[in-house]
Amino acid sequence: MSSSLLLSKKNSDVTENGTYKHTTSPIVTGTSVLALKYKDGVMMASDCLASYGSLARFRNVRRLQPIGTHTILGASGEISDFQFIQNQFEGLMLKEHVEDGQKLETSSIYRYLSNVMYGRRSKVDPLWNKYIVAGVEPSKNNNIFLGFVDLYGTTYQSSVMATGFGAHIALPIMRKYAEPRADSLTEEEASKILDDCMRVLYYRDARSFNKIQKAKVTAQGVEISEPYSLSTNWDFAESIIGYGS
Amino acid sequence: MFLTRSEYDRGVNTFSPEGRLFQVEYAIEAIKLGSIAIGVKTSEGVVLGVEKRITSPLLVGSSIEKILEIDNHIGCAMSGLTADSRTIIEHARVEAQNHTFVYEEHIPVESLSQSICDLALRFGEGAHGEESIMSRPFGVSLLVAGYDHKGPQLYYTDPSGSLVLYEAKAIGAGSEGAQTELQQSYYKTMSLEEAEVLVLKVLKQVMEEKLTNSNIQLAKVTPSKGYQIHTADELAAIIARLDEQE
Amino acid sequence: MSTEIQNAAKSHAGRWEPYVDNGGTSLAIAGPDFCIIASDTRQSEGYSINTRYDSKVHQITDKVLFATSGYSADGKKLAENIKIQAEKYLDKNDKIIQAPSIAQMTSIIMYQKRFFPYYVFPILAGLDGEGKGCVFSYDPVGNMERVGFQVYGSASALIQPFLDNQVGLKHQENVDKNRTLSKQEAFDLAIDSFTSATERDIYTGDYLEIYTVDSTGIHKEVRTLKFD
Repeated sequence: MSSSLLLSKKNSDVTENGTYKHTTSPIVTGTSVLALKYKDGVMMASDCLASYGSLARFRNVRRLQPIGTHTILGASGEISDFQFIQNQFEGLMLKEHVEDGQKLETSSIYRYLSNVMYGRRSKVDPLWNKYIVAGVEPSKNNNIFLGFVDLYGTTYQSSVMATGFGAHIALPIMRKYAEPRADSLTEEEASKILDDCMRVLYYRDARSFNKIQKAKVTAQGVEISEPYSLSTNWDFAESIIGYGS
Repeated sequence: MFLTRSEYDRGVNTFSPEGRLFQVEYAIEAIKLGSIAIGVKTSEGVVLGVEKRITSPLLVGSSIEKILEIDNHIGCAMSGLTADSRTIIEHARVEAQNHTFVYEEHIPVESLSQSICDLALRFGEGAHGEESIMSRPFGVSLLVAGYDHKGPQLYYTDPSGSLVLYEAKAIGAGSEGAQTELQQSYYKTMSLEEAEVLVLKVLKQVMEEKLTNSNIQLAKVTPSKGYQIHTADELAAIIARLDEQE
Repeated sequence: MSTEIQNAAKSHAGRWEPYVDNGGTSLAIAGPDFCIIASDTRQSEGYSINTRYDSKVHQITDKVLFATSGYSADGKKLAENIKIQAEKYLDKNDKIIQAPSIAQMTSIIMYQKRFFPYYVFPILAGLDGEGKGCVFSYDPVGNMERVGFQVYGSASALIQPFLDNQVGLKHQENVDKNRTLSKQEAFDLAIDSFTSATERDIYTGDYLEIYTVDSTGIHKEVRTLKFD
C-alpha cells in the first residue's frame, strides 16, 4: 500500500474491501473505577494502568478526567474509546463555552454521554467503556451528582458505584461503609474507604495496579490528585502453601 | 437595481416595499370570482352550501362537486379555482386517516384545518429544502365544517394560509352581501333545520339563476351522523321549507 | 468440528449482542374508576445489583403511566420517546392525549423498530377518556392488547398466575365473576405480589413504587422490599 493511501486511511476503520469494522472486543483496557458520595461532594478513584490483554502495557495513564469546572469523568474499558470521548468533550465544552458563556453542568454532561453511548450501541458499534460521571451542580443548590453509563447505554444513579471487578470486590465494602452515611461521611473517611477498596482490588484484581489517582468534586470545584502508590503488605504470601512453594 | 413597483408581483415569494405579497393577494382576489359557498354553525352541527354554476344546459350538474368529505366527521366547501383543491383535499384526507391510524380517534377539526393551511404557503422555493408542491399560491378558499370534542366548528382558510374560526361565513362571488345577510339573520341558538333554510335563503339572494335542487349543493356535519351530503330529493324538501317561510 | 460449525461459531463470537436484561418486574391492575401500577426499583446486570433505586415507572400525562421491564436503556428511551410524542400531540391538537391514543401510538413507535426492537415489555396504564381504569400490555415489537391486569418482567411467571386467580377470579368455584376489586384490595394485592416474588426472584427487590391513579390524580407510595 502506498504511503498516501495509508495516510488517507489514518484514523479510519474502513477496511480494504470498503466495509466498516465495528468494535467486537476491547484491546487496551483500564480496570475498575470507584466513586462515592460524601458530605461535601463526591470522590472517585482509579488506577493508572492500561492493560494490553494480560500485559501491563501503559503504567502512567490518567483515567480520571475533569470536564468543565465541577465534573469528573472516570473511565474503564477501552482506552482509545475513552480518548475519543475526551476529544468529544474537549470540543463540546469549548463550543458550549464560546456560544453562551455557560459551562455544562454534571447532569447535562451525563445526559450527553449517555446519549452518545446509547447511540453507538444502537449502531451496534459500541464505545467499549463503563463510565462514572461525578460532580456538584452549583446552579442546583450544590446538588451532588453520581451517575453510571456503559457500552449498552444502561444508566443509573446511586450514592456508591464501581465498574468492572470493583463492582464485585469494592462495591460491597462501599455499600457497607459509605452508602448508609453518604450525607455525613467526612472527606478523610471517604478518602480512606476508597484507598482501602483500591488496596483490596490491587490484591485481588490481576489487571490492577498500585499506582492510583483520586479525585474529588466539591462546591469549590474539581481536585484530582497526582498519581501515588498504595502501601501494600505481601507478608501473607509467605504463608501460602501450594502453587509450587 | 431597484425594482419598479409593478415588478414585485413577479416573484411569488417577493415582498413589495409596502410589505405585501402580490401573488398571494391576487390569489385571494381569485376566490372572489368563484361561485359562492356558505357555512353556518349551530349547536347541533354545521351546514355547508354552495352554488353550482350550470353554464350550459348540456352540462351534467351532478359532475360538479364543491362540497367534499374529508373524514367521517369533517366536510369542506370551496370557492375559487376548485381544481386547486384536489391537492389540498388529498392532503387533508391523508392527514385525517393518519391521525386515526396513529391515535385511534378522529382528528380534531382545528388540527385538520391547520394542516390544510400548512400547505398554503408551500409554493415557490422552500426555504428549508422542503419540497414545494406548487409554483404559485393556491387559488381556492375552503370552509371546513366538522365536529369533535370541542363541539361543532366552522373554519375558513384562504390562500395566505390564515385560519379563522367562524359561526357563519360566506366566500366567493357576492360574499360581501351574503356575509351581511348572515350577520343580520344568524343567531347562536339556531337549530340545524333553521341553518339549512338560512343557507338556502342567502344562496337564493346571491345567485343569479333561480335556485333549484340541481344548481346547489348542501351538506351537514352532525355529532350523531357525521358528514352527510343532501340528495336532490332532500334538497327539494328544504327548498319547499324555504318557500313556505317566504 | 466441521468447518461450517466452526465458521458459524466464529461469526457468532464476532458479533456483539446489543442487548442486556436488567431484570425487574412491573404490574398494573385496572379497576372500574382507578388503576394501580407498581414496579420494583432494582436494576441488575447478571448477578450484580447496579442500583437499588432506579424507577421503571414513567409518567406520560396526569392520567397515564408507563411501566417497563427488560432492557433498562431501551425502556428509558422508549418512555422518553412516548413522552415527547405526547407533548407534541398537545401542541398540535390543543388537548391532552388520552390513554387509548397513547396506547395505539406506543404500538406504532415500537413496531417501527420491528427489526431492531426495544427489548422492553411495557405496560401502559391509567384512566381512559371515560375515567375508567385501563391497562394496555405490549410485546417488544408492539403487539398490543387492552387487558384488566398484567404483570411483566423477571417475576411475571410468579405473579401473573396469582393475579389470574385473585383478580381474574380464575379456577375459583362459587364466585361472583362480576365482582370487581376495591382500590384498597388491588393496592394490597400489588404489595403482596411483590413481597412474595422478591422471595423467589433474585432480580426483583429493594424498593416498590406503587402508583394509584384515580379521579383525584396520581398518588405515589414507596415501600421497601427485601435488600438480599
